[in-house]
Amino acid sequence: MVEIARNVDPDNHALYEGVPAADHRLERLRQLLVGGEISELSRVTHLLDEPEQLATAVGNVLPEATARASHTQLGEALAPAVERAAQRSIQKNPNTLTDILYPVFLPAIRKSIGEKIDQTFQSLNESLRHIFTWHGLKWRFEAWRTGTSFSAVVLKHSLIYRVEHVFLISRASGLLIAHVTSQDATSEDPQLISSMLSAIQDFVKDSFKEKENSGLDTIRFGELRLWSEVGQFATLVAVIRGNPPEELHEVIRDVLLRIHQESSRALERFDGDSSQLPGVETQLQTCVELQHMDSKEGFPWLVVTVALLALIVAGGWFFLSWQSAHRWQTYLSRLAAQPGIVVSDQKIRGGDFYVAGLRDPLATDPQSLLPGTEVDPARVHSNWQFYQSFEPQFVLKRLSASLAPPDSVRLSVVDGRIVAEGEATTTWINRARAAAQQLSAGGPVFDISGVRDVSAEERWQAYVSRLETLPGIIVADQNVRDGQFYISGLRDPLAADPQSLLAGDQVDPARVHASWQYYQSLEPQFVLKRLTASLAPPDSVRLSVVNDRIVAAGEATTAWINRARAAAQQLSAGGPVFDISGVRDVSPEEHWQAYVSRLEMQPGIIVAQQNVRDGQFYITGLRDPLAVDPQSLLSGTQVDPARVHASWQFYQSLEPAFVLKRLTASLYPMDKVRLSIVNGRIVAEGEAPDTWIDRARAAARQLSEGGPEFDISKVRDVSPDARAAEHWQYYVSRLEAQPGIVVAQQTARGGQFYISGLRDPLAADPQALLSGTQVDPARVHSQWQFYQSLDPKFVVKRLTASLSPPKSVRLSIIQGRIVVVGEAPAGWISRAQATADQLSADGVVLDVSQLRELNLAELNQLREAIQTTDIYFSSGRVVPGPEQTPVLDRLADQLKEFAENARKAGVTARFMLTGHSDITGRETANASISAARAETVRALLNKRGVAPELLQVRGAGTFEPAVPENENSLTGNSTNRRVSVTVNLE
Amino acid sequence: MLQKKICMLGGFAVGKTSLVRRFVHSIFSENYLTTVGVKIDKKSVAFPDKTVDLILWDLAGEDDIGSFRVSYVRGATGLVLVVDGTRPATLAVALTLRERCEAEFGAMPCILLFNKSDLTDRWAISEGEIDELKQRGWQIYLTSALSGEHVDDAFRQLASMVAK
Repeated sequence: MVEIARNVDPDNHALYEGVPAADHRLERLRQLLVGGEISELSRVTHLLDEPEQLATAVGNVLPEATARASHTQLGEALAPAVERAAQRSIQKNPNTLTDILYPVFLPAIRKSIGEKIDQTFQSLNESLRHIFTWHGLKWRFEAWRTGTSFSAVVLKHSLIYRVEHVFLISRASGLLIAHVTSQDATSEDPQLISSMLSAIQDFVKDSFKEKENSGLDTIRFGELRLWSEVGQFATLVAVIRGNPPEELHEVIRDVLLRIHQESSRALERFDGDSSQLPGVETQLQTCVELQHMDSKEGFPWLVVTVALLALIVAGGWFFLSWQSAHRWQTYLSRLAAQPGIVVSDQKIRGGDFYVAGLRDPLATDPQSLLPGTEVDPARVHSNWQFYQSFEPQFVLKRLSASLAPPDSVRLSVVDGRIVAEGEATTTWINRARAAAQQLSAGGPVFDISGVRDVSAEERWQAYVSRLETLPGIIVADQNVRDGQFYISGLRDPLAADPQSLLAGDQVDPARVHASWQYYQSLEPQFVLKRLTASLAPPDSVRLSVVNDRIVAAGEATTAWINRARAAAQQLSAGGPVFDISGVRDVSPEEHWQAYVSRLEMQPGIIVAQQNVRDGQFYITGLRDPLAVDPQSLLSGTQVDPARVHASWQFYQSLEPAFVLKRLTASLYPMDKVRLSIVNGRIVAEGEAPDTWIDRARAAARQLSEGGPEFDISKVRDVSPDARAAEHWQYYVSRLEAQPGIVVAQQTARGGQFYISGLRDPLAADPQALLSGTQVDPARVHSQWQFYQSLDPKFVVKRLTASLSPPKSVRLSIIQGRIVVVGEAPAGWISRAQATADQLSADGVVLDVSQLRELNLAELNQLREAIQTTDIYFSSGRVVPGPEQTPVLDRLADQLKEFAENARKAGVTARFMLTGHSDITGRETANASISAARAETVRALLNKRGVAPELLQVRGAGTFEPAVPENENSLTGNSTNRRVSVTVNLE
Repeated sequence: MLQKKICMLGGFAVGKTSLVRRFVHSIFSENYLTTVGVKIDKKSVAFPDKTVDLILWDLAGEDDIGSFRVSYVRGATGLVLVVDGTRPATLAVALTLRERCEAEFGAMPCILLFNKSDLTDRWAISEGEIDELKQRGWQIYLTSALSGEHVDDAFRQLASMVAK
């Protein structure tokens, strides 16, 4: 207890000094009470004391403890250590940290470089755009003056943009932290917009798996651009209208950076309460104020305009005065170039132009040269004196005016001389000569030696042209040589005499040498004269020339018309038209009358009326159809059928000839009846059946009304016999039509019929054919000999019976030949061939060429298989062992198949089963044992469904061994103990 | 200005969009749902001392949970789970979606809306089930986009939950 008290309170220690300290009981009690705690305490003490153990324990709990520690405190606590550690690490080996940071830096560096390049390009673009403009010069000055870069100045002045909105958006939640807007910009709910922007950022990031931390950089929609700058906790989005410079990115980035620096904690902890970030909007406001509109500073337009105007006026004046002087000089040089114009003086004074000189009246009017030089005519003052220029072209002009040369003379200037060439009259030549003499004093030479005097020739030409106008005269050639006139040509004898015309034209006949050939002119009046002479038209025909055509009018005979037509045809080759259509042919009417009288002569034709009207012929009347066709009579009468209009009525002429014809046609008189006309009567004679006589009698009665008499009294009635004979003939013809019946002879005598001939036994029975012929069988006496008809049908029948062709063969008759088609065994084919040979001797064709030998390949194969099969037996046994069962099974199947196939091919298969034995034992026993073996096999095959009648058996004993036997063998050769099979086809 | 990002989750055609269409402020077309996969609306809930702007991210309904863009939920302070009361399967979809969000971003206030409460004849969620969920601490509302029943209550409840 004392010990407990001591332990409970240390003060008690002293109180119980007397009590022994180490009481082993107490120790025991302690052990009992707190032994576990003591040992646990000692383990913990040990743990704390041993640094190694302690490190292990703390290491176990450190991650958990770090996770649970306050982040701020832990961060503050660790920061110096981490910084030092990093420093150390870099000092030790910079690569380690570089490797770690590489994935972080690379995108940032890449982005930064990209933007720098963008900036450069933008700057370059702007610089280039402004380098040569007025603005450009001004801005260069400004850049030099202020010491800033040129691009900065360009940027300052040129870009037009406005930052309309700035959103600061929490990156974590997409919630809007702050939003500022420029004065007059409007937008929808900024909270929603900011969220949607971050949603779209997420969307793009997700959709394209973009790992980069940056998000959307730029969204552009028309004039609007959304630039977003991504910070650690917030994204700054600027909505810009217009064309912002790349530098703006930097500005925005600066603002974002500043916001992050100032309110990093607030941004990080942003939970939607924007009141926690009060100063942010002010920062954003700086972005919105970034804007630039184009400078409106005035350019000194007025001064520039005035200066320009002055310049234009001065320049214009100088140009105009230079231009007018230039034009005047052009005009003067043009004047000087003109022949017949001599400029003696010229000057320009007070803007007016003065010119003086000489001009030929025939020269160009100087005034007329002004247009085209653009010299104002009103300012030109001219003073011209007229003079006569001796320049050849002016002399030529004056000569042309004074001499008035005829068209045949041509004046020209050749090497400064005036030359006249051509033909002229004597008078004109004399005048020209005088003018030449006048000119010789100072002027150019006037050479008229080239002009020929043509006075006498003119008169000749007048004569010639007069000749050429005369009808019937053709001038072929004419010329003038040495004052002599030659002419040649053709003249119609009926034309005027060319010689007589000479006097009138004052041409000297002594100088004319004419050579005329006579010809027939085709000019109408000459042709008319000649036609009148040659055709000698009758008085009723008049010839005249109408419009160069020769027209004949009046009446003439065909003969004359034909002559005239011939003449017209001759003329058609080059001559004038000779029109004879106006001459009426008076011949046809005569021909017509001849035709009509011929018609009237014809029997069976009665002309009732006929006339001629306007060259057309009309005729009407009656005609018997049997009479001559009036149309056919026209031929040979020279009457034009086209001009004949006939109208014929048919009637029956009762003239005996016609009646006879009609009777012949209607009664079809029998062979034995003859019709004739006797004294105007029609008489029938001969024999006829009663039916014909009845019809003839009826016709006779009809004719009795005004027609000629038809006498049939001389026709004898032959009816009953004739009918019987007819029936008999019908029967005979029927017999003759029968194949296999040959009628040799037949007669009808005394009402009895006799017939004899040949008949094939296969042909129809002649007696049976009698029925239906109305021939009385009792009166028929037949005598038939049997024969074999070679008619193919009978031959086929016989062949079918005799050859008994297999089913696979078909016999048919094709065009009288018997054709055998199909497949048959070779034996049958050879029999058919033999028959064909026999028949060919009788003239019957049996064509076996299309027969094909039955394809026995399969059968042969099977036969081979069967014949090589042997059934083996043990020694002395007649029943094959069980090992032979499959052989027997197979053999049975093969036999059945072979028998079936053979049957199909039209042959019968038979199988010979031959039993054999080895040589052991007695021969008789062997013979019987071999036969018994064959019998056994037949029974076994029969049991397997092979028809017994197909199986034949025999015993061969030892006589047909399969292998030679060793005669000394005691056991015999097992190969020879067998039954073999042979196949026979029948 | 106090705003909170709220995500509306639910299976296909549970009526999220209809639910908010009449009761929230919206400037974006519903095409956003099909194009971007999210449509953002705003619902202001006024309390005596403050007004909370719920920025509602209406995520396109997908029955295929795999295609759910979980990144849209980042930064959200609350969830609105919408279930089609006539299709029990949508409850499982909503709960799965919530699990995915919480696994990614931690626990956050959440309300569960059983929508289409007007379709009583086709209602397929039993009272027992709802009670059980309520027992497990769910804030549950039976809403109807048609009548507007409980929609405001639900948003008010959620606003008070997230604005604490």
